[in-house]
This record gives sequence, C-alpha cells and structure tokens, in this order.
Amino acid sequence: MDPKVVAAMQPYFSENFYNPSAPYAPAIVVRRAYQAAKDSLGHTLGVKGDELVMTAGATESINLAFHSIGGHIVTANVEHHAVLEAAKQYEHTLVKADERGLMTPTMVKAAIRSDTRLVSIAIANNELGTIQPLRAIAEVIREVRKTRLAHGNHTPIYLHSDASQGVGQLDINVARLGVDLLTLNAAKVYGPKQVGLLWAASFVTLNPQVRGGGQEGGIRSGTENVAGVVGFAKAMELASEHRKYESDRLATLRDTLQNKLMAAFPNAVLSGHQKHRLAGHLHISFPNLDAERVLFALESRGVLVATGSACAANKGTRSHVLTAIGLPPKIADGSIRMTLGHMSNEENIAQATMHIIEEVRREYARVQS
Amino acid sequence: MTKVYVGMSGGVDSSLTAALLKEQGYDVTGVYMKNWTKDLPGMKCPWADDLADAKRVAVQLGIDFKVFDFENEYKHKVVDYMIEEYKRGRTPNPDIICNQEVKFKLFLETALEDGADLIATGHYARVENGVLKQAVDTNKDQTYFLYRVTEKALKKTLFPLGEFTKPTVRDMAKERGLYTAAKKDSQGICFVGQIGIREFLSHYVEQVAGPIIDKKSGKTIGQHDGAIFYTIGQRHGLDVGGGLPYYVVGKDMDKNEVFVTTDLNDKTLWKTDLILASVHWINHTPTEGICKVRIRHRAPLTPATLSFNSDGVRLVLHNAERAAAAGQSVVIYDGENCLGGGVIA
Repeated sequence: MDPKVVAAMQPYFSENFYNPSAPYAPAIVVRRAYQAAKDSLGHTLGVKGDELVMTAGATESINLAFHSIGGHIVTANVEHHAVLEAAKQYEHTLVKADERGLMTPTMVKAAIRSDTRLVSIAIANNELGTIQPLRAIAEVIREVRKTRLAHGNHTPIYLHSDASQGVGQLDINVARLGVDLLTLNAAKVYGPKQVGLLWAASFVTLNPQVRGGGQEGGIRSGTENVAGVVGFAKAMELASEHRKYESDRLATLRDTLQNKLMAAFPNAVLSGHQKHRLAGHLHISFPNLDAERVLFALESRGVLVATGSACAANKGTRSHVLTAIGLPPKIADGSIRMTLGHMSNEENIAQATMHIIEEVRREYARVQS
Repeated sequence: MTKVYVGMSGGVDSSLTAALLKEQGYDVTGVYMKNWTKDLPGMKCPWADDLADAKRVAVQLGIDFKVFDFENEYKHKVVDYMIEEYKRGRTPNPDIICNQEVKFKLFLETALEDGADLIATGHYARVENGVLKQAVDTNKDQTYFLYRVTEKALKKTLFPLGEFTKPTVRDMAKERGLYTAAKKDSQGICFVGQIGIREFLSHYVEQVAGPIIDKKSGKTIGQHDGAIFYTIGQRHGLDVGGGLPYYVVGKDMDKNEVFVTTDLNDKTLWKTDLILASVHWINHTPTEGICKVRIRHRAPLTPATLSFNSDGVRLVLHNAERAAAAGQSVVIYDGENCLGGGVIA
C-alpha cells in the first residue's frame, strides 16, 4: 500500500474506531469521513457517493452484479475467474477473444441473444493488459436496446465492467464508458485488500446477497469497513491525480524493457494487444523454457514476476487466458508477466532487464546442454 | 557422468542431498514425488508450497527438475494399507511402506527408466555394497524406516547425509545459502500435513462409541469413540479422569471394546516374546542368536535372541519392552548393520 494510504486509514483503527451508525457524537466524525470517502470515489466515476455499494473486494462486487441481474449472460473466455465462475451459475455464452485477447463489438453483438440480460467485459485483461473497446461495446448494447424496444421485447440488457485494472491509467468515468454497472477494487491501486465497490445505474435493481442491518442502502449489510473505504478513496485520489503522467511514464519504461528483451531474445513471443495495452503490462513468452524456473531465479535477485502457469510440470495449472488466446503449451509455459508500477523507475527497470536477460540465457543454456 | 535422481521434498535434508551430490560431480536431477494428498477441513496439505521450494532449490543449484506423479500408487499402496491395518486393530507405519513401495521401488524404477544410473534421498542412513548401515547421527538414524528396502534397490541408492549429524546438515545448508536452510522439519503424517493420525482416520472410519473397560475389575469406566483409534500402550486421550494414569492393554475390535489398566506391570503391556510376520531380510537370512533390535523409530537398540521355529521368526527380548503392538515393525541389527525385520504378529 502507498504509505499515504496507510496514514489516511490509521485513525480509523484507533481514535476514530466508532461504528458509523452509532448514535453518540464521536461516531458522527466517522460517519462523515465514510461518506466523504464514498463521495470522493464517486467523483472519479462521475457519480454520487450514495450510488456506490461498498463490498469486500471486486469478486463480491462482480457476484452482486451477476446475481442481481441473472442470465442469459454474455462474457469472454479471457475474463477473470470471478466473472467466469459467477457466469457459470446462469445460462451464458463465452465469446472467444482473438489472439490478442481482444473482444470486438462485432463479436459481442453476435453473442447477444433476445433473452440476454447482462454483458460483462473487463476494461482490460489482467494477464495480457489488452484494453477492451468498452465504449464501442456500450454502443452495441444501446443498439440492441433500441431494436428490442422496436420489436416489443422488454427484456432489459445491461453492460457491466470490472474496471479494476484500469484505475490510474484509463478514464473510468461511467458516463463516458457507457456502462450500466462498474466494479472496482482497492488493492489494484495500492489500496487495502478486501475492499471494492459496485456502481449500478439508477435503473438497475440490485438484490442484496448479504442481508442484515441495512447498510449500503440495504444492498450490502454489515458494519462499514471505514478504514478500508477511507484507504480506497485515498488510493484512488492518488492514482487519479497523476493518471496521464503516470501512464506515459510506465509506457516508456515498459517499452524500453520490451525492446531490450526482444533484442536479446528475438524468438520471444509478445502477447496482448501491442497498441491497446495497459501501460505497465508486459507479457512475454520464451518458447521451450519453464517460466517458473525463471521466476524462482529472478525472485532471489529481487525481481518479482508472474508466470502463465504455476508448477509447469504439474498438469492443469496453465492460465486459461493463454489457452483461450491459443498460445501453444510450449510457449505458454515459458510465459512471464511483468507489471510496472509506482516503484518502477529507470534505474530498477534497467537492473531488472539485466537480471532477466541473464537468467533467461542461463535457462536456455541449461535446456540446450 | 553418473546420473543421479534425487528425491526432493522441499525440505532441508533433500535440498542438501542434491547440493552435495552436485558438488561431488554427479549429474543431478531433482525429482518431486507427487504422492497422494488430501485437504482436510482446516488443514491444508502444504504439498504445493513444498513442490515450489524443491524447485527453488533445484533452480538455485542449476539442476534439472521433474515431478513424478505417484498419486494413485501411493493412495493404493500406502494410504489404503494403513487404513486397513488400523481397521484390523493394528498399528501400521506408513513411512516404512512408503519406502518399500514408493521411494525405493516406484521412484527407483521410474528414475532408471528415465535414464538415471542411481537415486538418492535425504535419509539419515548409510549404504555400503548393498548393506544398510546406521547413520553417524544415531539420534537421527532412519534405518528403522528402511528395513524393508531390497538389497537390489540399496545398490542403486546414495544416502549422502548418513555421514553427518542433523545440526551439521543445517549448517551446511546455511553455508550454501540454500533456500530451505532454515525451513522447519515436517511433522505429522506426510500426506495430510500436520494433523494427528486419529483426526485423519476419523474421515475414513465411522466413529462408534464403545466401552473402556478396566481389565482387572471388568468394570466399564468410560467411553471411547472407536477402538480403532487406540494403540496398545497408549496413555493419553482416554478421557478417563482422576487417579493414576490408565494405559491401553487390549482391544476387542469385533466388540469395539478397549481394555485399560493402571498397573504398569501388567504383562500385556510388557512383552519379551515376539513372533514376527512379513519378515524381510535385506541381504540374507541372519543366523540364530543374539542381536540388537529396535521396536520403534529412535528407540534405543536393545538386545534380543533370534531364532527360527515353526511359528516363523521368534525374538526373545532380554529386557521387556512396553507397548509392542501388533502391526508394529521390529528391526534387527548386527552392530551398525541393519539386517531387516518383521511385523509383530
């Protein structure tokens, strides 16, 4: 977490620990802070704080959205497990993303049936960094609505998006995106874990999945996670402040890293959309290597990366995203995902580049001997 | 270069084993044996972390690393056997069966087929020309678990740790900066992580309450939740309050009865005359006469007289041993050599 986020949260664990619903005066301070935090979060989305339902992370937010609306659902085979598992509870169609992990409006349109109620597409893919054309997809939804109206079909259709990956890099104003429901997660912006939110347009009816004391407008009961939400708001503020500057900075660093790795290993494979991609994302595969070995070698040198498959020698753990985009096992198992962020700078990225080149070379030498 | 496949569990012992063999000039491949594991409520078996740790060390050493999947065989040969033995009222030892069936049979065969010349493990034991010898660290010596391994298998096996004490092994792992140098030793049943055998069994056998009977008076003095969970000689876990401690001296599996006594001199608690079944000799059948035996791992060696009669192998202990339960293994030694042993009938 950003130290500023920790500092903002601190008082709500200690002196301002009161339950925001309590009747005595000291609780009012807490209540106001909570509301202010929600207003601040709402501001980033271009909505009022009251329109947000705070949840314990993005997974809960996604489940709340899906279980409120139900099927038929259209989503993509490259979506996060939270989306795929929630969709499995209903009749659903998985759109096959292209080899870059991209969902085109035409592909989405083709999957929509006359009884489709929900379309859910993340703003960007968490593994590949591919940014989805959400606005154009929203346009498709609007057309479908018009056509349905003209044909006397009163089945509603909504567009949901998990925008967690986009915060701090992309515009997440809901009106500009054209979405009807939006999920966010605090941990993705250097905020606390187990804090997230769901925004739904006023015409969407949400059905509470957690009932009780009626907090969050009765949609999500349970004493408010004051410190968590205050931390989320602070994290979001910081991320939004430098959004443009930060994404340019990360893109430059990422491109340097990418170019150096590609120069060193011309047979490496880049995945994800090379143009419409999150600034801090780099997904690269070294064919015939066991990426997990590279991961372990790099971690001991202080470079932390992710792989496309855990325990490559073990069956069934290959990333569903890499399988979905048709990456052959020999390439998928040599996949490394790097994400750059706040702490990345020219110096440590140059260091990391050197370590990666060395370790990948070492592994290639071992495999070939 | 001689190719050695080292069974790497993700612990410090097998990590150092691989490191030492590499230093000695062998062409080393690390192998993680994926045995049968079960996630029980509230107790996740740490195998995935262990596998990752084993692989980390392999990467650190720059050696090849493989995973052998023995899940089905392990479940069949070790776990099922163990549950069956308990159901029969006996006290089996899963480690002994695991060594006999999995590590020094299946792993050995698979490794040889895969191109290995030898295998190695992090056991504390020594081998010389197919003869199994106690480890230099007599406190850590694991030959008790290895008495059912064949001579043929031992001739293909290296135990580099047999020459060192456990503290030395830790130090050597630290010196080499091995990732697992400070990792805690594993405890509990290897395939379910840190839970008791009782907890494990309770998921496989129905818990049926029965009487705890005082052997002397014949009176029921308490209730137990299944005779299967009790072992001869056991003191704890009887939930019989007050007075002197009670010891389990007998079980009637058919009637689900557990017999106890406070009398530490009860003759069922102390045994001198043992008949061994399922006998296994590593190199050859030993001659009759005086030998040393061990009735459980880490128990001190104790003198006995070995003879062969119509019942099979008979051992007369010179000093009576407490709690020598049916199903338990007795391992026989001649000096530092482990000759083999059998199971108390």
